[in-house]
Amino acid sequence: MSHLPRIPDLKDPISLLKEEATLVKKNGPLTTELLHRPSEFGLGNLPSTQGKVTTTTKSICGFCSTGCSLTIHADENGATNLTPTPGYPVNLGMACPKGWEALAVLDAPNRATVPLLNKQEITWAQAADEFCSRMKETQEKHGKHSIAFISTGQIPFEEMAFLGSLFKFGMGGLHCDGNTRQCMATSVVAYKQSFGFDAPPYTYQDFEESEHLVFIGANPCIAHPIMWQRVLRNKNNPRITVIDPRNTETAQCATHHLAARPKTDQALFYGLAHIVFEANLQDDAFLATSTENWEEYREFVKDYTPERVAKDTGISEEELVSLAEAVALKRTSLWWTMGINQSHQGVRSAQAITNLALITGNIGKPGTGANSITGQCNAMGSRLFSNTTNLLGGHDFGNEEHVAKVSEITGIPAEAIPREMGKPYNKIIDGIMAGEIKALWIIATNPAHSWINQNCFKEVREKLDFLVVQDMYHDTETAQIADLVLPAAGWGEKDGCFINSERRISSIRPVKHSPGQALTDFRILQLLAHTWGCGEMFQKWTSSEAVFEMLQKCTKDMPCDITGIQGYAQLEEVGGIQWPYRAEVEGAKPYERERRLFADGKFYTPSGKAKFLYCEPTEVKELPCAEYPFYLNTGRGTSSQWHTQTRTKSSAILRKLYPEDPYAEIHPDDASALGVRNDEWITISSRRGQIKVRAYVAPTVKKGDIFVPMHDEQSNRLTYPDFDPYSFQPSYKTGAVKMERA
Amino acid sequence: MISNITDSHESGHDAHAPVVTLIDQLLSDQQKLYTPIVEIADKIDAGEIRTDTYKHLIPLSKPTEGQQYAFQVELDKCTSCKACVAACHSLNGLEEEEAWRDVGHLHGGEAEPAWQQTVTTACHHCLEPECMHGCPVGAYEKDADTGIVRHLDDQCIGCEYCSLKCPYDVPKYSSRLGIVRKCDMCYQRLEVGEAPACVQACPNEAIKIINVEQEKLRPILEQKRGFLNGAPLPNITLPTTQYVGREVPKTAKPADQEKLIPAAKHTPLVLMLTLTQAGVGALIGAALNVSPTQSIIGSLMFFVGLSCSIIHLGRPLGAWRFFLGLKTSWLSREILAFSVFTLLALLSPIALSLVFYDIEGFVNLPVASFFARALYPFLGWGVTIIGLISVFTSVMIYHDTKRDNWHLKFTIPAFFGTTFAFTGLLLAQVAPFWSLLLAIPIIADLILLAPAIKEKPWTPALHRARLMWHPLRKITIARFLCGILALVICPFSIYVALPLLIAGEVLSRSLYFRAVHSPKMTGSF
Repeated sequence: MSHLPRIPDLKDPISLLKEEATLVKKNGPLTTELLHRPSEFGLGNLPSTQGKVTTTTKSICGFCSTGCSLTIHADENGATNLTPTPGYPVNLGMACPKGWEALAVLDAPNRATVPLLNKQEITWAQAADEFCSRMKETQEKHGKHSIAFISTGQIPFEEMAFLGSLFKFGMGGLHCDGNTRQCMATSVVAYKQSFGFDAPPYTYQDFEESEHLVFIGANPCIAHPIMWQRVLRNKNNPRITVIDPRNTETAQCATHHLAARPKTDQALFYGLAHIVFEANLQDDAFLATSTENWEEYREFVKDYTPERVAKDTGISEEELVSLAEAVALKRTSLWWTMGINQSHQGVRSAQAITNLALITGNIGKPGTGANSITGQCNAMGSRLFSNTTNLLGGHDFGNEEHVAKVSEITGIPAEAIPREMGKPYNKIIDGIMAGEIKALWIIATNPAHSWINQNCFKEVREKLDFLVVQDMYHDTETAQIADLVLPAAGWGEKDGCFINSERRISSIRPVKHSPGQALTDFRILQLLAHTWGCGEMFQKWTSSEAVFEMLQKCTKDMPCDITGIQGYAQLEEVGGIQWPYRAEVEGAKPYERERRLFADGKFYTPSGKAKFLYCEPTEVKELPCAEYPFYLNTGRGTSSQWHTQTRTKSSAILRKLYPEDPYAEIHPDDASALGVRNDEWITISSRRGQIKVRAYVAPTVKKGDIFVPMHDEQSNRLTYPDFDPYSFQPSYKTGAVKMERA
Repeated sequence: MISNITDSHESGHDAHAPVVTLIDQLLSDQQKLYTPIVEIADKIDAGEIRTDTYKHLIPLSKPTEGQQYAFQVELDKCTSCKACVAACHSLNGLEEEEAWRDVGHLHGGEAEPAWQQTVTTACHHCLEPECMHGCPVGAYEKDADTGIVRHLDDQCIGCEYCSLKCPYDVPKYSSRLGIVRKCDMCYQRLEVGEAPACVQACPNEAIKIINVEQEKLRPILEQKRGFLNGAPLPNITLPTTQYVGREVPKTAKPADQEKLIPAAKHTPLVLMLTLTQAGVGALIGAALNVSPTQSIIGSLMFFVGLSCSIIHLGRPLGAWRFFLGLKTSWLSREILAFSVFTLLALLSPIALSLVFYDIEGFVNLPVASFFARALYPFLGWGVTIIGLISVFTSVMIYHDTKRDNWHLKFTIPAFFGTTFAFTGLLLAQVAPFWSLLLAIPIIADLILLAPAIKEKPWTPALHRARLMWHPLRKITIARFLCGILALVICPFSIYVALPLLIAGEVLSRSLYFRAVHSPKMTGSF
């Protein structure tokens, strides 16, 4: 927060001399600049330069899915600073650097402030007209479904719902998806198939109550630092197992680090199930009452002997047995993120983990669970309300009862609701390449940076007749190649709700003036609906809170029922509410800060029982070979970077906390074979592209593996475009590469 | 299509008939903020007092006699979230990129399994704060009650010597303010029983304030123990931060140790040092040659150098207080020595002129001539002795930073090398063999470069050589070219060689600063 004068006050020579005539100056303007003053609202001492705090309000952080509450300090002109909210059930008064800097990134000079057509400034009226006429033109020329959108997990779900509804119901589009496909789709499908609904079962309290925590392909120390806070509050002296090919920050904190070969998790977990069954350590009672086909699964894993699995994964038989026993005998929670989700067989890998939790009865009890930690602040909101892969509130587009219900609540005519499913992200890209989709609308995401095998996105651009980017910044990699840029207000400049990893719904607040003519996505959608000529259809969609109330009604009788929530005010007052929150059940009881699912052993499947899903694992399609001898892994770099960095690079403090140059982590043996010293420049190439990075020589990766942080704009030139067959999530963590001195 | 939406910026509709269009409405709504009136009483009732959440992380009592406050860092809880840095920045109202705490990584070397550790670090509020000892104007004080090393911002003249003196790279210069600033352990918070910003912000409670016994700590630190492997040795300043919770192997090294990032340029200092040293050398040569012209050249160089020393200061008006640091600071002593030498540098050309022109018989001023002749030998000796003492104080300024690369054995050849090269240059006019003196600084720099030839385990000397040979290669090559050309040309024409020699020495001094390995706490890759 820089409200400081650029130069010290200029003074006349005489007073300067007078001032300088003191021998020891303990006070003066420079000393004053750093003085604190006590503030109200229990905030403690604050810098006097930040102005007097006249009011505070709470807002959920808009970066990751942890869902930390930030207390915004404000004066009459809006936010002056923030501090993490004490006592909030998620973050207990703490935040990571991104949270601390959440307001700073709004002040960036590269904010989009006016609509741009071919980089020329235009008015909103022209922009809305351009948008509608070009989209309609495309539909007339190439068919109704020749338009598509790619959205985000970063905006409130009220906006997501409006976007998905306007596009599908108002504009007659069908193909739309979110960048959540890149991080969460695998868990969504895995949960739906296993539990009958996309339902991460845990609450953060489980971190504190486990006797054994297993992290698979997850690095919460830097990716979800505020969750790690909860791990450290665990009083059980827990065993912490980290399964990750890299020796990450989290692996350093583990009691047991198993560096499994990349993408062998599925076999690993079948092997663990095998050991559990062989030792007769399974929870028979739970299996009998709460699961469907466990005997088949026992049969299936018979082939996964410790000997075979040790060979596949590179983990010793002793370690496998010790882990299996610990899972079976201790109160164990299993946590995964992108190491599992971003895989060619992610769904079945996630289910292999879930299956282990089920056979050991590690579900529904404190300190247990098969737990996917989500990525973006509102990925969970998009899973329920984006109206892309399911009809508002987790409904089926093909189910007439669902359609009628949603139609009645939202005021959308049933005939406007499509009954078929649209294409997922990768098929939209395929559709563009095939010439079926000719216009693309991108909202708050940056595929020119983040899409797997990024070079193909250049071709995508060439194939498109019309590319619209709606974003806070006018210079994201994607905005730079757009025909039309719509300037959006960001987090801190709008209201609405997010749902965090543990299903907690909380609200955000507009606390800062958005720059120039930037509008919230909600208002942009209102304008586009009006201009399109379908304003009538969205008469009830007047404000975020009005949409929230409709969405609440949509969830009635669904597993994610939140009909008991008393508006934004209650969300702010109690510290967020986890779904489900039914008026007649949870709403009737005193508020519980932390709730988990499946305590009653009942799941959301038709039978009420959890299912075992499994299949033979397959090898990754592109393995290292003579020409490309190294295995490429990508992932999060530091806690101060967020995805494609459109926001985090706007804070000088966050920039300071991540490496200046792009780098690749390589093993010392591989480095010396190449004659490369730490910090020297190298090139890494795959069959798809080449990047130039600095060598970071450390045995934190295994010999033959290379790790590249995903935040660097170049990284996805290398990645191999493979997708999970069920979730269509891209497998960002595979690719064969070679390395040379630059 | 948009008949009912008009944009106020576009169309010229009747100004007397205000039409609130949808776009106007949206733009106007956009600027409305949510600012509830929250009564403080409500907040207190809700038990949400931020300051309560970290009360247990500061000592119950103020330090007693012989104790001081110190940071304690539990390494096993420090997991690289870096919230402490952002909070320090935010809760102290610092500049855009300013934070008084930093986070780096230590590595266990190439051995497997890999070992790494995040290290959060701020000012160590040392028992022997070298920043304070080095400050020429007394802009630091170590608080008698708390042991907090405080920087007096309004007393600071922005010489940045403290930044060079601190082995942990703590005081940081602000060009906006012309002073350095540093961590004050949030003394204003501690005074009212609140924890410092970093302590408040650590999700893992890895940072605490504790009371330490100063005299128990002192002998341990003096024996180079009790601090942190992989960090600069603690025996120079006796840092009080306690790193506990995880054993750090002896092999631990900073993740950024091998990063070849040149240090700050310090151009005014480069010019100041080179030209004052050149001036002293030339004035000595001029005195021996009895050459007023050369003496004027020497004086000119000296005064240009001296004025650079003033440009170097962020707030030069306060520099008159330099005597406050005479007891401990070589910088104060340098200022004193150069002040005395200034007189000689002024007098020297005058006296020499008188002597010279008297010998030649051009003037006939018996009184002046008497003084000049009487003064001349003293002046000659004075210039030589005071000049060399002044250069020595410059040497000591850098040697006293305890940086390996700036040890006497490197700094004496560099600084006196320059001085004698200029003396040699002038004497070469009389006897060309004196031009060999020009080789001293060239050989000195060649010796510094030598370690770059072979791959060896990392040392500060190797680091310097690599900096000289990789990122600074152009400067290095130019330095040798200028130096060798000056050496070759000198016997033929000292006035052609002079600018080459100046250029060569300026470049050499530039390398002295830019290629130095600056000790600091571990950074990140």
